Amino acid sequence: MSKKIAALLLKLLLAAAGFFAVTFTVYFFNLDMKLTSKIEPFLLRHYDKMERNTSL
Amino acid sequence: MIRQENWKRQGDQQLGVLFDDGKVRRRREWRGVKDTLYDYGRWLGIMKILATFIAKPRNVKAMFRYRWMANYLAVPHMVDKFTMGLRDEALRIVHTSMDFVVYDVAKTMDNVFRGDRKTGNDKAFSDKCVLTDENAMTAFMMGFPTLKAILREVPTMFVANLLTQYSTTHYLDVAQQFGIPGDVCPMPEAEAGISIEDDFPVLGACAVQVNTTCDGSLMGNGIIAKRLEREYGIPTFQLVAPMRHREADVQDYAAGDIKQAIAFIEEHTDEKWDWKNYFECAKRVNEATRTRLAWLDINATDYPQFVGAPFSLYNDTNYMGNCGRSPDFPLVDAKILKYAETGCTEKRMMAPEYRHRAIIWGVQPQYCIDMLNWMVHCWGIVPLTDMLSLVNTKMIAEEDTPENREQAYYDMAWLNENMIMRNRTHGGYRVLVDELWEFCEQLHADMVIMWEHMSCKALDGMHGQFEEQAREKGIHLVWVCHDLCDPRVYTRQAIRDQLNVYMRTVLREEPLDPSIEFLPDENAW
Amino acid sequence: MKDLKHLIYFENLLQTANNALITQAKEEGGVCVAYTCENVPEPLMNLGPAFSVRLFAPNTVSLDISTYYMTGFLCESSRALLERAVEGGFNFADCVISPDGCTMINRCVENMELLHTMGEGNDRFFHQYMEIPLKADENGLGLYVVQCQNHVLNPLHEHYGIDISEEAIRKAVTKHNRVCELIRAIGDFRKEEHPRITGYEFHVLTLATYVCPKHLLIEKLEETLEELKTREPDAKPYRARVAVVGSEIDDSGLIKLIEETGAYVCADRFCFGSLPGRDPIVLTEQEDALTQICRQYMYRCQCPRMMNMAKVYGRKEYVSKIAKEYGADGVIYEQVKFCDPWAYERTLGSSMLREDYGFPVLSVDRPYNIASSSGQMRTRVQAFVESIEIKKLKKGEGV
Repeated sequence: MSKKIAALLLKLLLAAAGFFAVTFTVYFFNLDMKLTSKIEPFLLRHYDKMERNTSL
Repeated sequence: MIRQENWKRQGDQQLGVLFDDGKVRRRREWRGVKDTLYDYGRWLGIMKILATFIAKPRNVKAMFRYRWMANYLAVPHMVDKFTMGLRDEALRIVHTSMDFVVYDVAKTMDNVFRGDRKTGNDKAFSDKCVLTDENAMTAFMMGFPTLKAILREVPTMFVANLLTQYSTTHYLDVAQQFGIPGDVCPMPEAEAGISIEDDFPVLGACAVQVNTTCDGSLMGNGIIAKRLEREYGIPTFQLVAPMRHREADVQDYAAGDIKQAIAFIEEHTDEKWDWKNYFECAKRVNEATRTRLAWLDINATDYPQFVGAPFSLYNDTNYMGNCGRSPDFPLVDAKILKYAETGCTEKRMMAPEYRHRAIIWGVQPQYCIDMLNWMVHCWGIVPLTDMLSLVNTKMIAEEDTPENREQAYYDMAWLNENMIMRNRTHGGYRVLVDELWEFCEQLHADMVIMWEHMSCKALDGMHGQFEEQAREKGIHLVWVCHDLCDPRVYTRQAIRDQLNVYMRTVLREEPLDPSIEFLPDENAW
Repeated sequence: MKDLKHLIYFENLLQTANNALITQAKEEGGVCVAYTCENVPEPLMNLGPAFSVRLFAPNTVSLDISTYYMTGFLCESSRALLERAVEGGFNFADCVISPDGCTMINRCVENMELLHTMGEGNDRFFHQYMEIPLKADENGLGLYVVQCQNHVLNPLHEHYGIDISEEAIRKAVTKHNRVCELIRAIGDFRKEEHPRITGYEFHVLTLATYVCPKHLLIEKLEETLEELKTREPDAKPYRARVAVVGSEIDDSGLIKLIEETGAYVCADRFCFGSLPGRDPIVLTEQEDALTQICRQYMYRCQCPRMMNMAKVYGRKEYVSKIAKEYGADGVIYEQVKFCDPWAYERTLGSSMLREDYGFPVLSVDRPYNIASSSGQMRTRVQAFVESIEIKKLKKGEGV
């Protein structure tokens, strides 16, 4: 029983460590912003193509 | 000058290492183990807010419908701008305040898209919404607990420009194509451009516009109201805030118009004004006022704590957009105050030297909002407070009595008149010029950083008076010209250079951190 | 057409702010009440010996000093006024009454005060700033009355002993109306197919009624009206009739320039113009005169700072109404450069007049003194006149 708990804890710990390693890498190297900055031009092109009801 | 001999910033010393010529920073800052982990934890929190927001289909739809939504890709980048170089309590204060602002704006946007006819289209919800201006005190909503005040221009224009510097340029071009000249204030002009391009979400049972903050803002409202009324059938009410707001003989007028605004909202929403709720909100307004004054007291000491753009932006959100209506703000206020008190007692500093204590006057450049933080690290100038944060200090009536119910209209009017910025830019030269020198004395400032928003006629009109009176009083007055939200007119570096030149040529000082004197951020968000 | 007998006389009065009639009125014991915005009710500044003079700065060239004090981004009207004040050009004023109308004029007057540009040697001199309503409603009316009482009537009484009684106000309204009736009668000739007065001449006469003591103009205006009744108009038709709408035109040269292109300025809906500035004030016995004056000023006001939507739409409707009444083929929306209220108003106005009311519209900004860039304006107006002519031709050909 205790082995199972220990294994579960280990899994949780590994998952937490994995989560931390991945997210901290994203955080520290600013990968989130580097990714979204690549998305922005596509969105802007999409907005440019939209039909709009432009009037005063 | 205040200097701590053994002061050393944990982690990165030269902040210039974070910048390259790109849109975003090279990496995030190393702040030592403890503060980096703290910052990382807050980043996770921001990510959670964004994930919760984008999980809703209507918000995804909005992302593809509204051009200004693209700016929200840069939310974590904005928070990084405000926390640059900060450690200890200062870092925690900025995160506590700005992360809450992020949460509040996300909530506002979620509400906006829920009711928006073009995305969420929840009509029943929309019928319980009242549109208001970005620059409006929402005091007239304090007695409507079941209604939502939607400050539609805050996410579309105001916050968007804090996020990315070029957010308004497209809308300015649209407005100018329709004949609005390029010399008016770009903020209402961009808002008019958003309306012209039909890029505003459309919702609400009715709308209340206010003649804040300036002639341009007042006039831009007409363009926006025409479309709301004639195309979308949303009735509008124009609420008056008198110009000479310190005069006793305008207060009846202001209070009278508040009564009319409330009657207008009641008529269009079938809701009744709730005095009990009003006085609960009034208590919170007073609490917020007391806390703001306590922060300013701390900033008057040698160890200011809650400073710069976050001080201003948090106060804007709390004082104006919230105006006592949310029970969440007092909790955040108290937390910030606790950090500020600890920081002051522990004599925490943000830089090794505080060479100058500055009052920030005028209107901030939205697209270069992190300049105040930059000048602490680059030149050791502490921004003690800014014009936009020096608003109402009077306590309003908070007990529900028959006399106070009448007084309440005057209190709401007073708050409306003392909306940020316009309480200084209007009301005569005494509130704009004379009181600046009084604040310099109270906060022991030796320097005024004068944001000269070139299209702000109310401020420009006193240019010579500022110049001459500062000289007489022996205060260093540094003109920093900008165009509020159009970086094509003044780039960020052109803005910073004005301070750089003053520091080097007039004061003959060298920067504390030379690596950030020139930042390659012209293409950055 | 044969020259108007008194045209040169009126033109000369507009060559300097401190004109001969102000000197004469002051020598006769008059109290000169200077003002800067048409939202201050004129009759209240013309009680007893008091006479109103609207500040303007003819023949402005340099704006150096005012640009230092207010930067180059403030409208040229406000800078021209401050420049003239600093030069000592308004020293004749015994007081200045200025509403917080548009921000720039307000700043201009505040600078005048802080720089002590007027009132030297006159210990009774005063500055007064007043609030004026931003909407036309009964709440606004209450404010207007209080403000006129506190910032116009009471100071005049306290500083100069001016009689501010009901009787005095009614008497002032009668005098004011006489000038309005004369200007209106003269202006009505502009409705004719072959008008017997040019837009330029009419502008000179109208402007004079704002910048001179009015009572000293009545005789000449009466003679001019008589003269016009028999004046032979030119047989040659104008190429296009236009209504001019926008911020104040202190320089009649602009109207002249427009007419030099072959157009005829048939209606003047700008600050300090005759529509509706020279509408007589109708008083009844049922209510006090002050309230009635304020009500009429507030409801007829066409200032873009009036922000309720009834006013926003009403302003365009008014332009359409006068354009039809005076037979305009097109509308010129103009603004002094850097004027925020008129910048927005001309954008919305030109769009609505074009789309909702079907008028051809020219939308332009301009300098305070048109002489500083007349070529550009001439080209714009010429093109506009040609476009109207082409429209007329096409209409005639049934295209």
